[in-house]
Amino acid sequence: MKAVISGIGAISAAGLNLQENLFSMKNGKRNAGPVSLFSTDLTYPVFEVKNFSEKTEMEGMRTFCLAVAAAKEALKDADLLPPLSGFKAGVCLGTTVASQLNDIDFYSAFRKYGKADLKPVERFLLGNLSKALAYLLKANGPSVTVVNACSSGTDAIGIGLSWLRTGICDMVIAGGADELNRVPLCGFGSLGILSKLLCAPFDKDRTGLNLGEGAGILILESEESYIKRGGKPLLYLSGYGTAADSYHLTAPHPEGKGLESAIKSALSDSCVSPMDICFVNAHGTGTNENDKVESTVLSRIFGENIRYFSTKGYTGHTLGGAGGIEAVFTAASLKYGWIPASAGFLSKGDEIPLSPVLLNTSINGSFALSTSLAFGGNNAAIVIEKV
Amino acid sequence: MFISGIGIIFTRGRGIDCFENALTQGWIDPSWTDSFPAYRVTKETLSDTNLSKKIRRADKFSKMAALSAFDAYKDSGMTLNNNDEKLGIILSTAFGPHTTTFSFIDDILDYGDANVSPTKFSNSVHNAAASYISTMLDSRGPTITLADFSYPFQNALLLADSWLKEKRCNHVLCGCVDELSTVMEYACKIKLKAAEDGKIRPFMFSDFPVSVLGEGSVFFMLSEKRCKNNYAEVAEISFSWELKKNPDIIIIDADGMAGDETGYKNYSNKGLPITGYSPVFGSMMIGSAFNFAAACLIFKNQLVYRCPVSDNSSSVNSYFLTKEANVNEINCIRICGSEKISIINIKK
Amino acid sequence: MMEEAKKMDLADIRKLLKELLIESLSLEDIAPADIADDEILFGEGLGLDSLDAVEIVVLLQRNFGLEVKDMKEGKEIFYSIDTLSKYVYENTRDHP
Repeated sequence: MKAVISGIGAISAAGLNLQENLFSMKNGKRNAGPVSLFSTDLTYPVFEVKNFSEKTEMEGMRTFCLAVAAAKEALKDADLLPPLSGFKAGVCLGTTVASQLNDIDFYSAFRKYGKADLKPVERFLLGNLSKALAYLLKANGPSVTVVNACSSGTDAIGIGLSWLRTGICDMVIAGGADELNRVPLCGFGSLGILSKLLCAPFDKDRTGLNLGEGAGILILESEESYIKRGGKPLLYLSGYGTAADSYHLTAPHPEGKGLESAIKSALSDSCVSPMDICFVNAHGTGTNENDKVESTVLSRIFGENIRYFSTKGYTGHTLGGAGGIEAVFTAASLKYGWIPASAGFLSKGDEIPLSPVLLNTSINGSFALSTSLAFGGNNAAIVIEKV
Repeated sequence: MFISGIGIIFTRGRGIDCFENALTQGWIDPSWTDSFPAYRVTKETLSDTNLSKKIRRADKFSKMAALSAFDAYKDSGMTLNNNDEKLGIILSTAFGPHTTTFSFIDDILDYGDANVSPTKFSNSVHNAAASYISTMLDSRGPTITLADFSYPFQNALLLADSWLKEKRCNHVLCGCVDELSTVMEYACKIKLKAAEDGKIRPFMFSDFPVSVLGEGSVFFMLSEKRCKNNYAEVAEISFSWELKKNPDIIIIDADGMAGDETGYKNYSNKGLPITGYSPVFGSMMIGSAFNFAAACLIFKNQLVYRCPVSDNSSSVNSYFLTKEANVNEINCIRICGSEKISIINIKK
Repeated sequence: MMEEAKKMDLADIRKLLKELLIESLSLEDIAPADIADDEILFGEGLGLDSLDAVEIVVLLQRNFGLEVKDMKEGKEIFYSIDTLSKYVYENTRDHP
């Protein structure tokens, strides 16, 4: 069973809504700059969301605000107005930052004085991303937050599909969100995979990734429920696959075994073959290892003619948000019939078997794949269909 | 789905046998630090020379998860194929590996943004524990980590059930883990009411109940088909107030951790036998998983373990002596604040 | 530590590095004496991996004030305790 994608919404450094994001990609705009959200001695470029006005009652819930912005857009696109209490509506979002109590000032005070103002703890407890959004939208179905590192968004969308298939829900708000935060910035820096330059996914001179922030949300519905409320399906989530590398905590499997399993599982879950896939929206972070493994696996499964690209050159790596944002971009590409140039790519080295698309390219196909590779050896893929 | 294996780590040790002994033994005094009680997992419990090589970097959170997951796998008696793609792993937690997160922030404060430990950062990511499990078991199946403050165990079970129904997996190792930390203890000192005598009282039905913090991990091997080793069958996971007919026993998750517990009174009023084992393992958002393990043992041994604390000021129909019984159906109930409630219906 | 390192001879540095590696990389089952000076640290030898490599970068920075910027350079430096201690020794001397 496939699910209708009845609405999509995205926010990133490339734009405050989907159309702004598409405009940036069409025109090759890359809005990176130094960190302005917090103070740090690190000088890596980042992709921050600027001029962002969404607010919550409690201050400092940036990840949630990003999710709310994308969810509002997706709901409007789906012709839905909260409350969603009339539906069996579930919420499944992925994140990394919102799942951690990584408030440096709070902890610094606590370790100095043995006590601290508990407001950050309150914020953390109220800020479980899916619960908070479910509460806001009055979605009464299940809600759970996926914390699968960089594949969280894609996995959350996959869980949404499972909920619809088993009838637990007739609608799921699915996707991911993450804010730029000092703790992961330091962490990725220590792993030696942040680039001092603008990231260049799949390029022979790539030197690492740039962190970003944002959110991408899909409204998934059972076909029956969507048609009943007067909708005409255009886009579908047709399948999801996920697999572990069973290899290493931070490095991908050198032959991409887990990624290959995840992609094959997503294809078979969707009842399509590699030949049906029109393009792949790759994870493509710009790190040496990720891009090598991913390009190798894509060429192995799809052959040398597959068109693929990474949008991280426009958004940065938005961690838990990436899977959601890229699913939205994949759906939008199918809907509008074009895919963007893979930003940052100039030429491929020997270890990259396939070049990503160099120019904005018109497409006319029915199925597309979006992949995510995560820390911990998680791999996830979804197939989106346009009728 | 069927429960074919259990692995558990809690304050009194490791393994389902150890848990069974604890249920028989009943309440024991928690450890006290600055007159604050808690049920802690000791370092000795987590030492394992055979497995430690495979998980040498793992922090306490990941070790608790990895060892209990491994034990659940062993307990099931299954032998996995190499690179098994049909074994799913679902790990659910309320608070994640926050001790390591704070230790990483220590690095930032002590050494600066550019001089922090990449290993600490890696362990502070929520899905590190599941990664250790999949690597240890050589499993290539779906592997997901969930974070939830209200129903971490119920949501994990729900997903496992979906995966089995979709045929995405044949078996799912599904479990919960949470750890204590100085920050957590500090926050709970302020926000919760610690039991002055170290006794959690599941039958207080109070709007501000007492708690004794705990930590640990439980994993279950869940299978689509009935396996050779079988504890019970999960018939339904629902989020409604309705009981499934009249179960033989109701197990409540009352442990002082999730606020108002007056709602549990509705079930005691029905006169059905009620019990709750939180005084054995401590107050945790993932306490449901431990009570669920107790339910599995009740089915397997056809033995109802006595309620560990004999305070019965609400005069509930409970078991205050461990005794043999013919148990065919149990409802495990969790109420989280004023939110919806959940019932796990388990059958023999 | 950094001032002390300046006064250490090669043997002292080797001993210290072994202790630091065991502690930072959680090599619990290994004693300093178990690591031979010329044993290959990565892959087939002691079995260290890419995450250990970046942890050694931090270790060198914190304990000796040394910054390994290029991991390709790191590969040669991190080959064995011998190469590592030689690197530390040479780069902690006061150059006139």
